[in-house]
Amino acid sequence: MPASKYERLRDAAIPWLLPAAILLGWQAAVSVGLVSNRFMPAPLDVARAGWEAGRTGELWTNLGVSTLRALAGFVVGGGIGFALGLANGLSRLSERLTDTSVQMVRNVPHLSLIPLVILWFGIGEEAKLFLVALGVIFPIYANTLHGIRSVDPGLVEMGRVYGMSRTELFTRVVLPGALPSIFVGLRYALGIMWLTLIVAETISASSGLGYMAMQAREFMLVDVVVLAILIYAGLGKLADALTRQLERACLAWNPAYRSA
Amino acid sequence: MLLDAVHREVLSDPRTESRHAGAAAIPRAPAEPGQRGIAVTVRDLHKSFDGHTVIEGLNLFLPAGGFTAVVGRSGCGKSTLLRLILGLETPTGGRIDLDGTAGSPRRSEPPKRIMFQEPRLLPWARVVDNVAVGLSGHGTRAERRERAQAALVEVGLAEKAGQWPATLSGGQRQRVALARALVSRPGLLALDEPLGALDALTRIGMQDLIERIWLAQGFTALLVTHDVAEAVALADRILVVDDGRIALDLWVDVPRPRRRGDPDLARLEGRILDHLLGGSETPA
Repeated sequence: MPASKYERLRDAAIPWLLPAAILLGWQAAVSVGLVSNRFMPAPLDVARAGWEAGRTGELWTNLGVSTLRALAGFVVGGGIGFALGLANGLSRLSERLTDTSVQMVRNVPHLSLIPLVILWFGIGEEAKLFLVALGVIFPIYANTLHGIRSVDPGLVEMGRVYGMSRTELFTRVVLPGALPSIFVGLRYALGIMWLTLIVAETISASSGLGYMAMQAREFMLVDVVVLAILIYAGLGKLADALTRQLERACLAWNPAYRSA
Repeated sequence: MLLDAVHREVLSDPRTESRHAGAAAIPRAPAEPGQRGIAVTVRDLHKSFDGHTVIEGLNLFLPAGGFTAVVGRSGCGKSTLLRLILGLETPTGGRIDLDGTAGSPRRSEPPKRIMFQEPRLLPWARVVDNVAVGLSGHGTRAERRERAQAALVEVGLAEKAGQWPATLSGGQRQRVALARALVSRPGLLALDEPLGALDALTRIGMQDLIERIWLAQGFTALLVTHDVAEAVALADRILVVDDGRIALDLWVDVPRPRRRGDPDLARLEGRILDHLLGGSETPA
C-alpha cells in the first residue's frame, strides 16, 4: 500500500519540518553574508567541525565522558529522590521527619553550590556527580510523593478487603497508581540532569562536552561551540524520546498515553 | 477436578440444599468447595463517630444463604452497618459473629466479599487480572487466571478478559467487579449500592445476573440500597433502618423468578416507601 506508506512517512516527517527549515534559513543567511561567519558559523561549517572532531575521536571521548557522568549522577540522585518519595509517601512519620528539611534544601538553587563544590572536590568526577545528583533528587522526590498521595484510596481499601498483602498492595496498587506522576518527575529530572552537567563542565572540568565548548571558545572556534550546543539539543530530544517509549510501554492501560 | 468438587459438595453440608427448596424451578450450577453461606449474628451493636451515634443497639440475625436487603434514608447508618459486618469498621460496642463460630480456624472459612458502588477496578490490570485480585494469596498465578476466566464466563464477559478496564462500559465494569467478588466463592457477599450509578436498563440486567448467581452459589447476600424497587425485586427479607435501629423487618413472600411490576411486589414497595417517607412526620 504505497498510499499508507507515504502517509506514514509524512507523519514522521512533520515534527522535523521546523528544525530543517531553521537550518536551511540559517545556512542561507550565512551564505549570502547576512550574518558574519565569525559570530555564527553556517550549519555546513558546524557539520565539518563535527566531522573533524569525530575523526580525531575527541568528540566521542567527550560525549562518552559526559554521558557517563550524567547517568551516574542521575542514578544516584534519582535513587535517593525515589526512595525518599516512597518513604514519605508511605509513612507519615518519615514525612514529618524529613519533609521540612527537604523543602528547605530544595529551594536553594543547586548551581549556587558550585564554588563550594569546587572547594570540596576540586574539579574531579565527584563534583559533577554531586551536582547532577542534587539537581535530580527533587523533581523525582516531589513527583513520587505526589503520585503516591494521589492514589485512589478506594482502590487501596479494595486491595485490603480482597486480602492483598502489604507487598502486593504496594506493587499492584500503590506503585502503578503513582507511576504516571513518577514519569513526569523523570522527564523534568532528565532536563535538569543535562543542564547541571553542562554548567558544571563549563566551569570546572578537564573533559566532557561542556569542557570541549569552553576550550573552543578560548581558541575562538565558534563552529565547535555551536556544535556542542546542537549536540545538547540532540541529547535532550533523545532522552525525551526514550522516556516517551518507556511511558508508552508502562502506561499502556491509560487512554491518555495510548499511541500518540 | 470439577467432578471431585461436586462430590465433596454433595457429601458435605446438607444445609445448603435446604435453602433452595422454594426455588426449585431454577437450575443450580455445579457446586464447588467452600460454597456455603455464612450466617451473621449481630448483638447489641453500637457505632459512633466522634461522639455522633450512627448505630444504636442493633440486633440482627442473617441466616446462611439468605438474601437480605437493607434500605433507609441516606445517613441512616445502613452503609455503616454493612461495613461493620464486613470488618471495615470496628464497632464501638456489641459484637458481630460470622457463622456463630468466633473461634474457628480462619483458613477454612469461606471469604466475605464486598461490591462497592464504584467498580474499583485496577486500571493498570487487564480484566482477567482484575478478577484474579479476588483470589489474592490463593494458588499460583496460572490457577488464579484460570479461575478468573471461569468467573468472567459466569458474568458473560469472557471475551473481554484481555482488555483494559478503561475500554469497558459502566455496566461491564460493574460485572467485572461482580466476577472479582465471586471468584473466591464467598460465603458472604455484601453489596454496597453497587448498581446506583448504572442506567435503569443496565441495572435490571445486573439485578437478574446477581439473583441468578446467588441462586446458583448459595452465599449469604446483604444488599444495601436506596432503591426500594431493587430491594423488593431481589431480597427475601427487607430491613428498614432508621436512626441506627431496625425500624421494619419484612419478609418478601413472592416466588422467584419475580416479574417486574408484580402487584404483590408493588404493594410491598408502597408500604416500605410510605414508612420511609411518612415515618416520623405523619401525625399518628
